[in-house]
Amino acid sequence: MLILGIETATAQVSVAIGGHEGVIALFEVARGRRHAEILAPAVEFVCRQADIELDELGVIAVDTGPGLFTGMRVGLASAKALAQALRIPMIGISSLDLLAFPNRHTDRVVVPVIDARKGEVFWAMYRQVPGGLQQVAPPTVGPVDDLVADLLARSQEALCIGDGAHRYREEILDGYHCEIGEDAHPSAAPLVQLAHARALREEWVNPREITATYLRAPDAQINWSTRERRA
Amino acid sequence: MYPVTADTLVLGIETSCDETAAALVMGGADVISSVVSSQVDLHADFGGVVPEIASRAHLDVLNPVVARAIVEAGVDERRIDAVACTVGPGLIGALLVGVSAAKAFALAWDVPFVAVNHMEAHLYAAFLEDPTLEFPLVVLLVSGGHTMIVEMRDHGDYTLLGRTIDDAAGEAFDKVARFLDLGYPGGPAIDAAALEGDPEAIRFPRAMLDDGLDVSFSGLKTAVMNHVRRNPDVSSADVAASFQAAVVDVLVTKARRAARQVGATGIVLGGGVAANSLLREELLGACAADDLQGFLPSREMCTDNAAMIAAAGWHRLRIDGPSPLDTGAHPNLALPLRP
Ligand SMILES: [Zn+2]
Repeated sequence: MLILGIETATAQVSVAIGGHEGVIALFEVARGRRHAEILAPAVEFVCRQADIELDELGVIAVDTGPGLFTGMRVGLASAKALAQALRIPMIGISSLDLLAFPNRHTDRVVVPVIDARKGEVFWAMYRQVPGGLQQVAPPTVGPVDDLVADLLARSQEALCIGDGAHRYREEILDGYHCEIGEDAHPSAAPLVQLAHARALREEWVNPREITATYLRAPDAQINWSTRERRA
Repeated sequence: MYPVTADTLVLGIETSCDETAAALVMGGADVISSVVSSQVDLHADFGGVVPEIASRAHLDVLNPVVARAIVEAGVDERRIDAVACTVGPGLIGALLVGVSAAKAFALAWDVPFVAVNHMEAHLYAAFLEDPTLEFPLVVLLVSGGHTMIVEMRDHGDYTLLGRTIDDAAGEAFDKVARFLDLGYPGGPAIDAAALEGDPEAIRFPRAMLDDGLDVSFSGLKTAVMNHVRRNPDVSSADVAASFQAAVVDVLVTKARRAARQVGATGIVLGGGVAANSLLREELLGACAADDLQGFLPSREMCTDNAAMIAAAGWHRLRIDGPSPLDTGAHPNLALPLRP
């Protein structure tokens, strides 16, 4: 079964095709705020270079966030439309799972940290278990101080990765002794790998059931509810 | 020239503001289906469109809206010849949902993608209901996001004659309605309240009435607020009626002047504010007095919809051919004007 993976939750646009032979094709551009311009040509390019017609695909996999809202929605809207038009199912996977997965062969706690802007980060924590990773702390959004407090509370050897870990390297290292890994962005390569395992178990959904994970209410709603409470 | 025919079936997609819409239109004129999902309830608490809320809602409802447009049309989706979508102007996050989905549909079905200017599409709304309209026309386009007077000499041939230098007309309606506690959206709220009031109770200023074809509503909005603050017991109905009379007076005077200036055969109304009953009545009266055709499209065609996007897309495909897949969204996209 061929799977097209689409990942746009951070500054990177990543598109991959994979199947039981693993990842067949991968396209990545990591500098940009031009997700919508890049993504559709990237899908076309990856398919052409891998010599795969879109109607040979069996599943569309997509990163459902958390991440930067606008970029994330470019990937989600594209992936959902592709699946709907091709009449195939979808598999949605969290950006934090995707960042953690390539670092599954460590004894340490794996902590993907994604920049959430406004001085905040998205993070979760994972531990190695036979056959992969298990989430030990759920996806959270908050200031870097909260992440540091979370690390201190656990007091375990930790590996922090992701653009949030890079951006706040000093704040994190000042508060907690850990390693900052190189991985900066979730990629569509682990996306198709993880999705393939799920596809074998037919753990897929209708495109309509794929929704974004924001972890944060829209700004106006935040302002509004604080105003309501004050009033 | 790209080969399009009267049988060319275009799927239109619109997500530039707070309506998620999809439609199938044949030959740029024949509306086979048109589905609009309004988010007005989601924004009502805030008295205006909240961009992030709009973007989230577009992502959630676009797929079902497209599916419904196809089912209601009763055609096989493989019959669709092109996918047209608003690429601007509008809210960037909202536009990006539609543009991304539209390009993906086009890619999956292996048909052309067509980038459509939302303002140009509004001009085409009138032709969906009256294909016999004769050029040159003056189009008065008034909504929450835009207020402009455009001369249309032919398909694809536009000259901007006038525009608002500050607030859009619909925006002024929303702000005044919110100030008077009449509810959201402001257009229908003011329209309803005005029916009970006296339009001559208060003489609000008509900014730039004798001066060119541009309009300005920000001073009027301030005048309304000052008047109410100074006269706390004033009837809201009188304020609404007098405010509406001032807006309509300015819009109709300018549209009339524009038609005279370019020798138009008629005036076409478009945009959400075109549903305003006083504006409709006054514009028809003015057209009759000046011996012009006056055309008022239905409310469904005046407000944001995807049938107008599909229609404009058909014309754009004929004139320019398919748009590249690396097309993005352009929040401040201007109307393609005559050079
Ligand atoms: Zn509009």
